[in-house]
Amino acid sequence: MSKRVQILLFILPGLLLVGLFVYGFTAWTLQVSFTNWRDVGSAGDFVGLDNYIRLFSTDRVFKASLVNTLKLTLVFIGVTIPLGLFLAVLLDLNLKGRQIFRLIFLLPLSFSFVASASMWTWMFSPQIGSINTLLRAIGLGSLAQPWITSDKQALFCIAIAYVWQFSGFSTLVYYAGISGVAPEISEAAKIDGASTLQRYMKVIIPMQRPATLTVLMILLMYSLRVFDLVWLMTGGGPGSSSEILSTFMFRTAFNRNRFGYGASVGIVMFVISILIVIPFFTRLRRSEYE
Amino acid sequence: MKRGVVLLVVLCFLLTGATALSSSPNELVVYHWWTAGGEKEAIDVLFEVFIDEHPEYSIVQNPVAGGGGGILRAQIKTMIMAGNPPDTFQITYGHGMISSFVSVLQPIDDLIEGYNIPEDVYEWGRVDGVMYGVPLNLMQNNCLWYNVDLVEELGIEMPIKSIDEFLGICARVKAEGYIPLAVGAGMGQQFWLGTLFEAVNSALPGGGADFFNDYYAGKTIPSESEVFAETLKVLRTLLVNGFINDDYSALTWDQGSDLMATGKAVFYVMGDWAKGHFTSMNMVPKVDFGYQPFPGTDDVFIGHADCFVLPIGVDRKIAKDWIQFLTTVKAANTFCPIKGAAPFVLDAPLDVYDDITKEILGYFRDDGVVKVLSQFGAPPESYLDVFGTAFSEFFNTPEINDNTLGNFDYAYAEVFLF
Repeated sequence: MSKRVQILLFILPGLLLVGLFVYGFTAWTLQVSFTNWRDVGSAGDFVGLDNYIRLFSTDRVFKASLVNTLKLTLVFIGVTIPLGLFLAVLLDLNLKGRQIFRLIFLLPLSFSFVASASMWTWMFSPQIGSINTLLRAIGLGSLAQPWITSDKQALFCIAIAYVWQFSGFSTLVYYAGISGVAPEISEAAKIDGASTLQRYMKVIIPMQRPATLTVLMILLMYSLRVFDLVWLMTGGGPGSSSEILSTFMFRTAFNRNRFGYGASVGIVMFVISILIVIPFFTRLRRSEYE
Repeated sequence: MKRGVVLLVVLCFLLTGATALSSSPNELVVYHWWTAGGEKEAIDVLFEVFIDEHPEYSIVQNPVAGGGGGILRAQIKTMIMAGNPPDTFQITYGHGMISSFVSVLQPIDDLIEGYNIPEDVYEWGRVDGVMYGVPLNLMQNNCLWYNVDLVEELGIEMPIKSIDEFLGICARVKAEGYIPLAVGAGMGQQFWLGTLFEAVNSALPGGGADFFNDYYAGKTIPSESEVFAETLKVLRTLLVNGFINDDYSALTWDQGSDLMATGKAVFYVMGDWAKGHFTSMNMVPKVDFGYQPFPGTDDVFIGHADCFVLPIGVDRKIAKDWIQFLTTVKAANTFCPIKGAAPFVLDAPLDVYDDITKEILGYFRDDGVVKVLSQFGAPPESYLDVFGTAFSEFFNTPEINDNTLGNFDYAYAEVFLF
């Protein structure tokens, strides 16, 4: 048996499983999205692009979900990356208590989303939540907010919870990147008279492009398919103010029995992910070869 | 060659996959959503009694948390589509809800023959003249619960007879620093706002059965209904005057009821399963908490039931025995008293029920009281989610204008036309 056949035999199970459960079911979802399947027991009829036309022409909640998803992504990534970098720099500075802070920064990563959602829901509760209780206790009751019960703040609250959960991951990747900078480079900058701030700003941080790309890629891929915290904290409410594409898809398919229509939402999510992720992959590969 | 054989063996093992784990003939796989106080104890005892009658059987119960069963139904659908339905599962009883599942359910007329329940109840659940679910417990939705201590402290005379009187009392309660009406409709449970809508609507002229029979059948466009707008006006009054706790969208139904139970709120509108929750907190009916039909609705009974169904493809004696067991007086009188519900079975002795349940049953059996099937049974399943969102939007911005009514029309079309 040739080596090639042996290798193929070993990777065949994985290939088959990925082929079936990833590509097979994606293709099946695409097929379902062209039908009007709207009942648990029957597969529906072919309706061409009707689902997509309805999505982009008359469906108000879909448009709101799309905008909310993009908003959540922007806030989530826009805060998590700089925050992770800042915390990684702090860890690298050899400050007192660095070990304990490293543990504190990474702790949220170990939380399950259900536990996080319960905790943040309780913290954001306007009446009994710890945030408003604290504000009232220190005489700043006028700053107490409705948080997750407000259509203007619910999405922002969810973003905070996601940032909290993922900032540890971002910190970890940047810390590894910063630790990987050769000490000679940093020393050379020091000899040339660079201050600590200048060393980080001009030498170490500019070298973190691969780490940034990695964090950006992973957070982007995750943010486009977030579901758990949104579903558990607000259920997409109040109204549709924190509805995002994944909760809208779930709701449409499993609470409203519009399986064909729900599949079309899933395909839209898939296409958006592909459009965003592929250029990044291409860029990443190119930077590896450079 | 030898290496090739080893490789092939490894490959076979890898490709074997998980074998389908079918339950044994004597294991009943049940899915239900009774996880809150009162209801969990009730279903556990019911299972025990079933096993006492059938010692050869055992129960594999899969409780899926989430009031109203939305999460459970989603899970069941995936199991059914995967060709792996459980032996039996719980859904709310009513022709609309059952219609949403009817293509995957078995008729059970022959199994429940002789089930001694009112003909009205059979009619609630029949789809094209066929029974698919066995109703277990009667529930009234238009209940007003109140904290007895607070009512006495504030000198409120019970029962409250009309919606106007109720609104006046709410203003008094608010002035005394208490929450007049507790509501919990958050964390994906926006559909409870529909329960409040039903109660208020039934208290208004032209509301109740006159409205809901057509409305839940897809024949009443919200913006064209005067009583629909009037209902919104009352709800708006409750909201803009601060008669409802402002964190309602951050609380589940039981957390909402806790506001009343712990003396922060005076009133609470919820189905009679709330009673089971209160008693599980060691509260005594008519001593710690009281009940009346929502003010102005003592001639209307908005109700539904929980039922168990048999999915197509399940042809096991144990599942059929379970369905038949649920038609017995023993099953009703084991489950209902603990859950806080009333039995359907006409010959069930009522000595095991508390006074409030007897009162509820009295309303149900009174020919002068009009029965209305609630949002959990009458409209298609999607109503709960679509209108939960629509009501949530209204509660968030309680303005009554063309835009608001347009939103409700859009939701209505989504349920009945799309």
